[in-house]
Amino acid sequence: MTRKLLRNIGVPVLSLLLLLALWQAIVVGFNVAPYVAPRPWQAILSVTQNWSTIWPLALGTIRETVYGFLIGAFLGVFLGVVMAKIPVLQRSVYPVLVLSQAVPIIALASPLVLILGFSIMPKIVIVAWIVFFPVTVNVVDGLSHVDPDLINLARVYGAPRWRTFVHIEMPATTTPLFSGLKIGATYAVTGAVIGELAASEGSSLALYQEHANSNLNAAAVYGTTMVMTAIGISWFLLVVATEVAATPWQRRSVARRYPWRRARFETDGAASIVSSLSKGES
Amino acid sequence: MENTLLELRGVTKRFGEATALAETSLSIHEGSFVAIVGPSGCGKSTLFNVIAGLLAPDGGEVRLQGEPVTGATGHVGYMLQKDLLVPWRTVEDNITMAARLTRRVNNVDRAEARRVATEYGLGDFLRHYPRALSGGMRQRVAFMRTLVTHQPLLLLDEPFGALDAQTRLDMQQWLLQVWRDTGRTVLFITHDVDESLFLSDRVLVMSPRPGRVVADITNPLARPRDMETLTDPAFIELKSRIMHLLHGGAS
Repeated sequence: MTRKLLRNIGVPVLSLLLLLALWQAIVVGFNVAPYVAPRPWQAILSVTQNWSTIWPLALGTIRETVYGFLIGAFLGVFLGVVMAKIPVLQRSVYPVLVLSQAVPIIALASPLVLILGFSIMPKIVIVAWIVFFPVTVNVVDGLSHVDPDLINLARVYGAPRWRTFVHIEMPATTTPLFSGLKIGATYAVTGAVIGELAASEGSSLALYQEHANSNLNAAAVYGTTMVMTAIGISWFLLVVATEVAATPWQRRSVARRYPWRRARFETDGAASIVSSLSKGES
Repeated sequence: MENTLLELRGVTKRFGEATALAETSLSIHEGSFVAIVGPSGCGKSTLFNVIAGLLAPDGGEVRLQGEPVTGATGHVGYMLQKDLLVPWRTVEDNITMAARLTRRVNNVDRAEARRVATEYGLGDFLRHYPRALSGGMRQRVAFMRTLVTHQPLLLLDEPFGALDAQTRLDMQQWLLQVWRDTGRTVLFITHDVDESLFLSDRVLVMSPRPGRVVADITNPLARPRDMETLTDPAFIELKSRIMHLLHGGAS
């Protein structure tokens, strides 16, 4: 257990530290000026020293990322299901969705700010815009690759279509669904930052960084980037944790015993007397 | 014993130009074990899919217990070579799958799943996910899932086809035991003549292009059957007769 924990957490942390060491080595080795690129500890220090300014801004970025992601994820699943189930929609809507992703998101950001104002709304829309697509594509693929024999088996049992969907098709799509969500999670914070930049008014993490940039405060620029990256990574890890919790069968051989299930086990001693297996009984 | 459970009257099925199943009529007695042998493409699976209601025949009628069920589903137990266990459900929850797909699973369903699994040697694996089971165990779970549907007729389409020889023999004996205990009627597709004779009361031999039943052979071998059955002279004789039918006397 400890070995596994060490490997799963220790190794990523170690590679992160190596990355910082490499950064340090390059900046020192090539004698890079501090206003071009700071030392890693200078960047970190600039964050910790200005934490009271940065944290509320970061909170705003987190809010945009999370709301946008959740809206994008639900929209993505909905579109994926609808398109997989209605072939006409798949043929007509899919090209539009591809088009929506081909439009450079930066070109979309400014008009969105004009339409929706300087509130949180345009940022949420941009994040959702980026997140829904990989989710939709993966859900459509997942639903169209469910084993047809499994669906036929459900038909032989006389299962109504909605039960087949709930108990067979959706669970069978969990893995591709989470692939889409993980891709979306890594891009979500990028969308939020683009939205903040396009707004160019009010206070936000992206504008804080812009301000530092124009002051030639490289430490603050790099520090802010680290904060943004940390938001992205944290959100990604949260999605991964959700996947792990939602798909115990991919790692475990035996199902966990839950207290409420144990209670159920004890109550049906009497029920077993009722059941029997004689021929043709229904 | 002599009650007719399943009756096919003049059933035909075409796929475009190809006749998958030429006019077929047969009746299956309640409680019997009928094997269907034939090469690939002889319409065995088409026949099954018509009986199960997955395919509507182009002509003819399927009756179960006297009721017409042509093209309707929900009246047979059905099992394939693929176990079709869902990886996200435990053994217990896989066994109750039919109930989950048609109504709510209740405590009676769960108690029965546990009872059947315990009775047939999987009692210690109820909370396991299918990935933790061997091929033979998975097929047993698939069979239990078929059994607890309480359908009088079980359609088994090469259920042991993917298993190794030893496991397959174990499974065949296990299936005979369950069949004896529960008195269901079994239609069993296989391309293995030994298997068909080892298990059945009656063997239907099918032939392709067009798919049709070319022989209906009563299997008189005494039960219970065991390893000795496989070397019984009567077994060898029946086997050679079926082989001739399958390979046009070439063997």
